[in-house]
Amino acid sequence: MPFFKTPFNGYSVKFSPFYENRLAVATSQNFGILGNGRVHVLDLNPSGPITEICSFETADGVYDCTWSEDNDNLLVAAIADGSVKLYDLALPPTANPIRSLHEHTREVHSVDWNPVRRDSFLTSSWDDTVKLWTVDRPASVRTFKEHAYCVYSSIWNPRHADIFCSASGDCTVRVWDVREPVSTMILPAHEFEVLSCDWNKYDDCLIVTASVDKSIKVWDVRNFRVPISVLNGHSYAVRKVKFSPHRQSLIASCSYDMTVCLWDYQVEDALVGRYDQHTEFTVGVDMSVLVEGLLASTGWDEMVYVWQHGTDPRAP
Amino acid sequence: MEKAFNRQRVLLEHLRPSSSSQRDESVISASACMAGDSASYQRTASFGDDIVIVAAYRTALCKSKRGGFKDTLPDDLLAPVLKALIEKTNVNPSEVGDIVVGTVLAPGSQRASECRMAAFYAGFPETVPIRTVNRQCSSGLQAVADVAAAIKAGFYDIGIGAGLESMTVNPMAWEGSINPKVNSIQQAQDCLLPMGITSENVAHRYGVTRQEQDQAAVESHRRAAAATAAGRFKDEIVPVATKIVDPKTGEEKSVTISVDDGIRPNASVSDLAKLRPVFKKDGTTTAGNSSQVSDGAGAVLLMKRSLAMQKGLPILGVFRSFAAVGVDPAVMGVGPAVAIPAAVKAAGLEIDDIDLFEINEAFASQFVYCRNKLGLDPEKVNVNGGAMAIGHPLGATGARCVATLLHEMKRRGKDSRFGVISMCIGTGMGAAAVFERGDCVDDLRNARQIQSNNFLSKDAR
Repeated sequence: MPFFKTPFNGYSVKFSPFYENRLAVATSQNFGILGNGRVHVLDLNPSGPITEICSFETADGVYDCTWSEDNDNLLVAAIADGSVKLYDLALPPTANPIRSLHEHTREVHSVDWNPVRRDSFLTSSWDDTVKLWTVDRPASVRTFKEHAYCVYSSIWNPRHADIFCSASGDCTVRVWDVREPVSTMILPAHEFEVLSCDWNKYDDCLIVTASVDKSIKVWDVRNFRVPISVLNGHSYAVRKVKFSPHRQSLIASCSYDMTVCLWDYQVEDALVGRYDQHTEFTVGVDMSVLVEGLLASTGWDEMVYVWQHGTDPRAP
Repeated sequence: MEKAFNRQRVLLEHLRPSSSSQRDESVISASACMAGDSASYQRTASFGDDIVIVAAYRTALCKSKRGGFKDTLPDDLLAPVLKALIEKTNVNPSEVGDIVVGTVLAPGSQRASECRMAAFYAGFPETVPIRTVNRQCSSGLQAVADVAAAIKAGFYDIGIGAGLESMTVNPMAWEGSINPKVNSIQQAQDCLLPMGITSENVAHRYGVTRQEQDQAAVESHRRAAAATAAGRFKDEIVPVATKIVDPKTGEEKSVTISVDDGIRPNASVSDLAKLRPVFKKDGTTTAGNSSQVSDGAGAVLLMKRSLAMQKGLPILGVFRSFAAVGVDPAVMGVGPAVAIPAAVKAAGLEIDDIDLFEINEAFASQFVYCRNKLGLDPEKVNVNGGAMAIGHPLGATGARCVATLLHEMKRRGKDSRFGVISMCIGTGMGAAAVFERGDCVDDLRNARQIQSNNFLSKDAR
């Protein structure tokens, strides 16, 4: 399957929810520590290499990006300087970004578009807050400030328009309802920093969390004293974790141990697949909603791989 | 830059699991690490091209002229250890790519011939080459390092690093005249100093007292005696069948030597304090706090990890790094204080990562100085005694230390991951090497291989 070489270090990769052959990649210079950033929009070709549709330069590293669920040309990027930028692919490069929202006081680490209501998105930042935005407003709708350390990820529930969860370096995961004034649940998920979380796409009560303690845990929010499942196998911190859009029990993860792993948390030998194509920290992974089994990953080795589960990502 | 520093800090937190309560304000920085590895963060990968030690043996070390090997020829010391490597590992001797022997005092060409003959006595075929190497007191370690480097370079896959010295047959001596221009360069002149004088120089220059030196000697004897009594040297010593001639009657007697004979279990500080300095009237170096003059040999079998796994051989240790450095010849004993940091750095480690040290005790003065200079915990250094008790057959010492260190690390198991061997070198040098315990050792590998299994009890047959 094809790969794409980015000039900067990869930070995140996302499949478009509208076109099965399109994806966006967030990259940062010098491992995101110092320097510029760039968002690439890439197209997969049935036979032949990945082609770049366009790219957007930023003055600081881009840590995450996400596609709008409402408009197939709209892309949001989380920038390390604290800003959130919206890009419209239909407009010429000079007109972009169409909006730059600067409220976070530190690096923005993740952005997630609401898949139910489709008019709003969440950003989480190292300034310990999560912010809720809508496309038509120039300022954030609400700020959620309860975490005591960097918030690395906040993800909408795929069924309920107002519920989301957030993962933080304060070792907790919180579940929020935007109609409530405070968080509705505090989940002390790990002994160490929690770097990522996601909701199950078929059971709206299941959350998966990934941590610096190298483990991945699956939780039921109705009974969160003990995890439903603990997945061990990564040898360094797990950077990102995602439930499959196609199979109820399938989980994809990527880690500082440079691998991408696929898990089935309901079977005893949970590790379903392990891919070691990256030669540096693997920090971004995504599963296509439109093509079952299609995976994409990116890492600090400046590579983007797209492959079908079960095949070798490096195979030509 | 403040921002970059903070970003680096957040990301580094992901790589060092410390609980959130311990998050302090200390300056965290990524340390340069050549091996991509550190002791505190154990690497899981072990590579097929790692150079590993699968066996290391030595003879007992015996006092020269008076001890068990006084009537044993040098080749008869080397042959048994070479033979033991082959017998205990079942490696086909014709697969060995080279044998390198560290040896110091004997005339070069004659010793090379003796070694070649020893290989034949040990049962090696004529196709296996052999050579000698001389880096004075570190020759044995240099031999091991040379073999490791040659395997790494792809010259061959299996090699033996060995050491041999019979100080009975070849006492320390200078032959021929000395170049008169030696007086023009101080350092060249210092190369001619007797080793004892360099020891006095170390004691004087760095203020090591007689009391400290005698204390170190007593401790060395105590530990060596305890190790012998507990049978800790049994794994590494190869018994040598030889003869002893009674000096009075001239009667020849067959004996098997399997115990170091220089160890004095009841050595005490008060006894040692009575000895007179040998090299300088008001000096501190005595026969009691110097290394013993001995005979002995050692040998180490090295190969690539992939090959050891393929052959099902146990992995005793991994050869990680080697460094030789130069120091002032007048205080040659300080060599380990410079060589150890160099070797440890080359392995991508820090001194604190090292769990066990074998530092050759040429003299108590230099040993105590090096230990204190590096701030080493005495409980980690020469845990089974050193050259003051066991002996220092110059060329064999390096190979002897490898056997002692790796067998001790094997006994300690997970508690000791990295070990260092170091020694000072006459004429002002130091050498050191870092070894890692072979943590992939599966003891069951040594179990008898089951040829066929019909899943029936003995009674059913």
